[in-house]
Amino acid sequence: MTPFVVIVLAGLGSYLFRISMVLLAERMRLPERLERASSFVAPAAFAALAATSIAAASMGADVAAAVPPLGASAVAVAAVRLFRRAWAAPLVGMPVLWLLTAVVGS
Amino acid sequence: MLSITDVVATPRGYAAELGGGARAMLPWLAGVVPFGLVIGVAAAQANISTFAGWLTGPLIYGGSAQIAAIEMLSAGASPAVVVLTALVINLRLVLYSGAMAAYWRGTPRWWRALAAYLLIDPSFVVGNDRYERGGDRAGGHVHYLGGAVVLWVAWLLAITAGATFGAQLPAALHLEFLIPLYLIGEVGRRLSDVATRRAALTSAVVAVLAFAVPLHLGVLLAIVAGLAAGLRAKAVRR
Repeated sequence: MTPFVVIVLAGLGSYLFRISMVLLAERMRLPERLERASSFVAPAAFAALAATSIAAASMGADVAAAVPPLGASAVAVAAVRLFRRAWAAPLVGMPVLWLLTAVVGS
Repeated sequence: MLSITDVVATPRGYAAELGGGARAMLPWLAGVVPFGLVIGVAAAQANISTFAGWLTGPLIYGGSAQIAAIEMLSAGASPAVVVLTALVINLRLVLYSGAMAAYWRGTPRWWRALAAYLLIDPSFVVGNDRYERGGDRAGGHVHYLGGAVVLWVAWLLAITAGATFGAQLPAALHLEFLIPLYLIGEVGRRLSDVATRRAALTSAVVAVLAFAVPLHLGVLLAIVAGLAAGLRAKAVRR
């Protein structure tokens, strides 16, 4: 199987995921539990994706390498709580990441 | 059958919603564009043709799944495993689809086909935010489209630029870390009630605990655990 076929199959599958519940909703009523859960999808998905990325960036062979991503993430959380704006996290977190990376030297 | 624009009150209202969606997407681009550049670089450096790597953009249209597909194909992984891995990573799209289904019910088939194609984390957030504000539902559709098209164009341009010039970006900037930081911001501003806090915290903890689970299944487990925790907290409060 060529890389092109693999990518087309992965793309078709991803599209089916995207449209699956939209088509189902046309033919049947979605379970009430699913509709109630929909308000939690974004925070749960983004928390999982963020935690996975931070874990991936922190789990190096060197313990000191974990300091910049963990420190930047902690400061980003504090910045969002303080300013109550999403952009505060990268705006404050990236300089902290660069600073800690320069200090720790990873 | 109604078209989307039939129900948007005026052309001015239509333009305002389209522009509003596009503006709401701009902060996301700060994180998304570097990620797209990284994927472009990966596509150019992989042991597959650069065009095949670039095609993951319009076809798979999901950064983590694209990176996984390019890297696994480059490493010579079995085609079935590559497809399965990309699909597992994108499985969360079923949940996004479920969340948007209620808003898109009764819209024209072409609209649902297009809107579903453009559905990914940032477009879901921008669209969902507008729909949750209520008001004119058709205006919400146009708002979603404005944000989603800006994202799609920026994503493909970033991948193209990355495949062409991205190898010259200094790795020391760690621009890939913009994505988790922006996600922290998006989660942080939503923690207004106990049930949402419980959902996000549970999801983050399970994601770390399940980090080593193969095929990126940990992310899916974490989302499901977060949803369960949120629903449980909501039920307890009733």
